[in-house]
Parts: sequence; C-alpha cells; structure tokens
Amino acid sequence: MKKLGIVALAALTAASMIMVGCGGGGDKKADAPKEGGKKLIVYTSMKESLIKGIVEGYKKANPGVEVTYQSAGAGKLMAKIAAERQSGKILADVIWTSEVPDFYKMKQEGILENYKSPVFKETVNPFKDYDGSFHAARLGTLGIIVNTDKIKEMPTQWSDLLKPEYKNGFGVANPALSGTAYMSIALLEKQFGWKFFEDVKANGGRVGKGSGEVIDDTASGELVASLAVDYITNDKIKKGAHIAMNYPPELLVVPSPVAIFKGTPNLEPAKKFVDYLLGKEAQAMVAAQGTIPVREDVAIDPKFKLLAPKAALEKSIKIDYNEVINSKEAIVKKFSEIMQVKK
Amino acid sequence: MSSATIKKDSGFGVAQLILLLSIAILVIFVAWPVLLILFNAFFVDGSFNSLDFYRVLTDPETFQALTNSLIIASMTTVGSTIVGTFFAWLVTRTDLPYKNFMKSLFLVPFMLPSFIGALAWKMLLSPHAGYINKAFMSLFGTTEPLFNIYTYYGISAVEVMYLFPFVFIQVCGALERMDPTLEESARISGAGLLTITRKITIPLVLPSIMSGALLIMLYSMAHFGTVAVLGIEQGIYNIPTLIYEKIHESAGSFESIRTGTVLATVLVVTAAIIIWGQQKILSRGHYQIIGGKSFRPMELKLRGLRWPLLLFCLAYIGFTIVLPTVVIFLVGGLNTYGLPFTWENLSLANYKYILTEYDVTKDAIFNSVSLGLAAAVITMFAGVMISYVIVKMKVRGKGILEFLGMLPFSVPGSVIALGVILAWSGKFGINLYNTVWIILVAYIARYMAFSLRANSAALEQVHDSLMEASRSCGATMWQSLKDIVIPLVKPGMISAFFLIFLPALRELTVSIMLYAPTTRTIGVAIYTLNEDGETVMSTALAGVALILIVIGQTLINHFTKKVSE
Repeated sequence: MKKLGIVALAALTAASMIMVGCGGGGDKKADAPKEGGKKLIVYTSMKESLIKGIVEGYKKANPGVEVTYQSAGAGKLMAKIAAERQSGKILADVIWTSEVPDFYKMKQEGILENYKSPVFKETVNPFKDYDGSFHAARLGTLGIIVNTDKIKEMPTQWSDLLKPEYKNGFGVANPALSGTAYMSIALLEKQFGWKFFEDVKANGGRVGKGSGEVIDDTASGELVASLAVDYITNDKIKKGAHIAMNYPPELLVVPSPVAIFKGTPNLEPAKKFVDYLLGKEAQAMVAAQGTIPVREDVAIDPKFKLLAPKAALEKSIKIDYNEVINSKEAIVKKFSEIMQVKK
Repeated sequence: MSSATIKKDSGFGVAQLILLLSIAILVIFVAWPVLLILFNAFFVDGSFNSLDFYRVLTDPETFQALTNSLIIASMTTVGSTIVGTFFAWLVTRTDLPYKNFMKSLFLVPFMLPSFIGALAWKMLLSPHAGYINKAFMSLFGTTEPLFNIYTYYGISAVEVMYLFPFVFIQVCGALERMDPTLEESARISGAGLLTITRKITIPLVLPSIMSGALLIMLYSMAHFGTVAVLGIEQGIYNIPTLIYEKIHESAGSFESIRTGTVLATVLVVTAAIIIWGQQKILSRGHYQIIGGKSFRPMELKLRGLRWPLLLFCLAYIGFTIVLPTVVIFLVGGLNTYGLPFTWENLSLANYKYILTEYDVTKDAIFNSVSLGLAAAVITMFAGVMISYVIVKMKVRGKGILEFLGMLPFSVPGSVIALGVILAWSGKFGINLYNTVWIILVAYIARYMAFSLRANSAALEQVHDSLMEASRSCGATMWQSLKDIVIPLVKPGMISAFFLIFLPALRELTVSIMLYAPTTRTIGVAIYTLNEDGETVMSTALAGVALILIVIGQTLINHFTKKVSE
C-alpha cells in the first residue's frame, strides 16, 4: 500500500512535469513558426462574433496557413505588447484594434512594417497621412444605447443624456481598458469640452469596465443607457437583448486600423491577411455584423441605421490623431477625475 | 562539528546539502522577488530615491486603496470569525441534529471560488438589475433596492461567505481536541456557563480563532477577484485592483510596475505588522492545555432551539451556496444577459460553445490543471524538505532558514506576482514572461506556506527517538529518511498536495497579473470574459469550472480516505 502510494505520487509528478512541459512546448511552437508551416498570430480587440468569421474566411482563401487570434481589449493588448517588447520579441504578427493613437505611436517607434496593400485604392481612407504603416479596416461607430424596458423615447442628441430619465443610469466603458471608449471620450471632449462629462457626471453618469460590459449592464437594466460600440450591440440585439441604439448627429467614428509588425517571420501571410481584410468578402462580413465597412461597394442593412462609409466620415467629429498620441494618460486621468470618484 | 546530534560528522554531508537546497529554494522563489520589489520601490536607476516612494504613497488614490484594503479586510475578518466560530461551536459542542453532516456541509463554501460567488451576487443584488432587488422592488412597488452589493458591506459579505471556513476548520479542531475536564472542574467548582465560556473555553480556542482570522485578514487584504467584480465600477479599489489598473492604464510601462512595487511594499509592511501583532497577543499566555487525546466533549442541550437552528444552518447554506450556484448555471444558459428566465430564452448553446468551439476554454483548463499539479507536487516535496530542516535538523545556519521559512506566510499573492515579473522577465538572464513557467514560479512561492504548515505539523509528531534509533542501528541518514520519516509524514505531504492543488486550480489574484494570451488560467478566462462583456459566456464557463472543482474535490476525498486507511 505504501509503495503503491509512492509509486502513484512519482507517476503524478512525472505526469505533471510532462503536462507542463507540453504546455510550454505548445507555446514555443507558437513563437517558432519557421518549422513546419506558417502560423499567423493576430491580436485584435474585435469580439469573437466579428473576428472568428473573418479568420475562417481567410483560412479558406489561403489553404495551408494557420491562424490564431487573441481577442481582448486594446488596453490589455498594448500592455501585453509592451511587455513582449521588453522581453525582446513581439509574439503577434498582425494587430487590429480601434485605438488609432496607438498605431501612430507604433509608427513613430518604427515597429510597424510598411506595406502598401494593392487593395487600398478600393477602400475609403480616413487617414490623410496614409503611408502604408496601417490601413483602416473598419469604421466603428459609437452611439447611445438604451434599455427599451426603461426608456421609451429614443435619444437623438448627446444632450438628451442630461435629461432626468437618465439620472444615475448612463454608463461609459473604462478608457483604460477599452480603445473605443478612449477614442470616443477624446472625440466628445474635442466637440463639447470636458463640460459635457461634468454635466453627465452631475446627472449621475457611471464608469463601467470593458466596452461589452456596459452593453450587458444596459441590457440587464443595471444601467438605463450607455455609450456603446455598434456591432457588439447589434450582436446582442440579434440574440434578443432588450436594447436599441441611436446615433446622434455629431457622429463618433473610430477607424480600426490593421498593421503588420516589423520583423515578423510570417510577412507574406500577414500581407495576405491585410489584403483579405480589406477585400470585399471580409468587408461584407464586417457590414453584416452591423458596423461600417471601408468599402463603398458593400451594402449595409438599413436596420442598423448606419451611414455609408464616406457619408459617415463627413458627418463625424474630426480629430488630429497626432495630437492625441501623447495625451492618452492625461485624457484618461482627467476623465477618471471627473467621472470616477475613487472611494 | 563534535556536537552529539544526528548530523553526520563529515564536513559536507546530506544534512548540509539539504540545508543549502532548502535555503536556495526559498531564496530563489520567495526572497529574491520580494527583495526586488523593495529595491525597485526605493531605488530609481540604481540610486536611492525615497521621494518617489513618498509621492506614490501620498497620492490620495493610493492612500484610499490602502484604506479600502484595510476596511474590507477588517470587516471580512470580523464577519468570518463570528460566523466561523458560531457554526464551529454549533457542530461540535451542541446537540444539533445531523451535526456531522452539517459539519461537512459547512466546508462546501471552500469549493466555490469567491470571484465566482461575486459574479453570482452581482447578478442577484446589483442595485437596479439584481434578481432579488428587482423582485423586491416590483413586490413592494419601490425604486429603492433591498440591498446594494456594490458597497463595502456587499464586498465584505461576499468575502465572508466564501472565506469563513478558514476559521471554522481551525475552531472545530480546537473545540474537538479540548480537554473537557477543564470545563467540568470549573463547573464542579460552581462556575456558571458564562464564566466557563469566558474564562476557560474562549482562552483555550483563542489561538485557533486568531490564526484563522489572521489567514482571512491576509487573504482578503490582497484579494483581487471580489473587489474587481463588485467594487471597481463604484470606485472602490483595493491595492491589488489598483496595481492591476495602473499596469493597464499605461500599457505595461516600467513606470507603472514601479508604482506597483511601492503599493506592494505597503502591502508587505501591513501584513508584517498584522502578523507581529497577532504573535504579540498570543505570546501573552501559553495555551498548550489542548491535549491530543480525544474526549467526548460536553454538549450543550439546545432543547427547543434544536430544529430551528438546524433550519437556520440549512437556510444559510442554501442562501450562500445553492442560490448563487443556481444563478450561475441559469445565467450561463441565457441567450443574452438581461433576459428573463423563460424556456425560450434558455438553452445549452453557451455551454456547447464554451466546451467545443471556444479555444480559450481548452487552454485554460489545461493550463490550470497542469499548473495546479506541478505546483502541488513541487511544493509538496520542497515543503517536506524545508520543514524537516526547520523542525528536525540541528545544523549551523538553520536560523537563516527559519527566517526565510516565515516569508511565504506573510507575502500576499499580488506581491508575489509583481516580484516574479521583476525577477523573471529577462533582466537577470532568464526570461519566463508570457510563458506558463512564470505562473508556475509564482504559484510555488504563493503556496509554499501551505506546504510548510502541513508538513511541519506532521513532522512535529514524529519523535526524534525514531530517527536516533535507526541511526544507531547503522542506517545512513538517507535510509532513515526514506524508511522512517517519509512514511510517517506521508499524510502531511498528501494533505499539502491537496491544500495546494485545489486553490491553484481556480487561482485568479496571481495569474491575472501574469497571463499571456495563450496562458490564461480558468480564473483569468472567466474574469476577462466578464470584463469584456460576455456575461453569459463567462458564467457558462464558471459553471463548467464549478463542475470541475466538485469532481476534483470528490476524487480527492475518495483518494485521501483510501490513503489514510
């Protein structure tokens, strides 16, 4: 019996070592893709509902190329990339998030591959200083969503949020975690000044966590309304959530750039990924999820109440991205000072 | 070299080897990361700089987080101590019906990770959407919720629900082992129940209560999950959640890690003060009157209260365990969060997705199980070796080890996480960052205390004479270790294994700071899904995790029973 116990323990030790070894080995395979085929790694802040279909479509169009993707908030991905850079090697080959200033910053730092996609000329470009460092692959729009059980009259203006029915019930995602939240705060501040957030706070505005979390909180009725991303909302509406979305005339358009990291061992598959993403097939998937594509030749279902790409850009609040590159920490700080009284 | 001990007389034998190895393990895994934290908190670019330390410390944000950590930890400790002691007394010293069954029932909360509990309570008691609050508001036609979980009280209450077994187990043990003749003689001498309780019972079980309370205090102060789920949105931060946010706010820059080290230093110092205070209180008297012999303790007759109290206990379990678990499984079945629980809104689609399509699940389960096993095995063996040196061996340099052995007890999890980032991300030649190995290293440091405690308790019961007898019969040190000590401490080792494996399986505080995209643990996967707004998916995964934990616990109970026979 005793011997049996010892043998069992030894076996367990060995087994666990092997298992952990395998785990480590699995990761190593991911960073050493030279042997035995290509494995493209995409870091993205797009949710499963959007990225999954695109990656599958890409795989179909490029047989033999393996793709894995990591979907997380832009803040978290950038923290990861910063850590990876400190340790000398960026795991990802391609990055696709909605935090535009990050891309300008990475371009400045010279870690992005310059690639002028042949598909680029077919797309609508929101960046005046396009040079091939990154391409817009989606025009995300943010609007106001309301819980339809609690709010009967759809809001049409940003100032509607200051009405009494939104008292203590309007939420914004945490800009430290969510890139779209950060961008939309920067845009709203540009248009209306910090006064807007001070007024929102005075009406009991709240700060949530990630960009999807505020939507779930609105659907559950914990919040009556929130600032929300188009396709995440539309996905939940499709699943039956009691929410509805509207876009005030000062449109919040946040382009989602895609870029390739310099020095990637998977340069060709990465370039193909960018081409595919800008192409008609992938952009049709983007539009089908209820967010604005970057191609005029892709139709958007009118039920989403979204404008065509060019029209949306015209109506959107303009901002000089170069200006906001270095002000992220300051903007986040000012925003939390106003909105989030730490207890 | 001439002392008449069990040590070999050669200059460098097995004993020295074991001692050196033990010191090396503790230094590499525990002391080194902690030292790096202290160093980085006070030294900027190699030169001493206390100004920066002062700047972070006087930041109102930091101060508030520290205060919050302390407020929540104190309320949790007081609450858990009262709840734990009361239930322990009820199942050991009264004639409560089915008390053995109830005793095992009170250990069930251990199985429910507190952040999963927090998720469930968020769904039940969030002020406007919580199911209980909504029912209450529609029933009484008010707009005021019954209870708002997003408060200090809410957070502490949730922590109490899932942490009180720490006190419960300790106090149960003490009350069962207590020599009832002491109480009987007091009674014969004419003391009333109150006097006996005050003068005999309480002083006797106080050390157990205190040590359970200390565990809870340290745990809660450095606990990430509950505060992250229930506090952040209302601006209630504690130190671990503040470190987490700081690191994300500035995209992982070293500056934010430095701020983290200052916060971590504050946590270490606070922990040290609490431990010191506890020992100060306990050293006032010695309470070794608890005998090893098993007596049948005197039972208080509850009379008319027997059945009502049983009902109360069952209601407590139902409210704190059954209700949250049911909510987790139900919400995990919803098409999207916020829909009512009707048949057309419920399906198994989320579970199917989580189990078959979502790649992160497989990774997470694999990572958590293998990390748990590896950490448990390594820590079990290292722990038995280190405890052996501390408890049994008489060699020079043991003092260092005794001091180092205290460290794992007082270093909170979030501090360890920061420490291993500093120690193992390439600055000293080895880069483990973004791999599972860094989490393993952190787990070993975090759970060493568990193993040391279990193993030294087992070793203390092995009398020196056994070893001496074997040595005087000519056995070598290694032989006597293998044939005498190891078999005798095996139960201690096995219990150390399980004490580590199960908590490691659902760990969040450490892994949330260390995970990379492919090295999420189960806890991280659930938390990040929830943070990203995939509420129904995260609860479905939480449900799967609960099933795993229950299976694990059942297997373990089965296995330990077999071994102890």
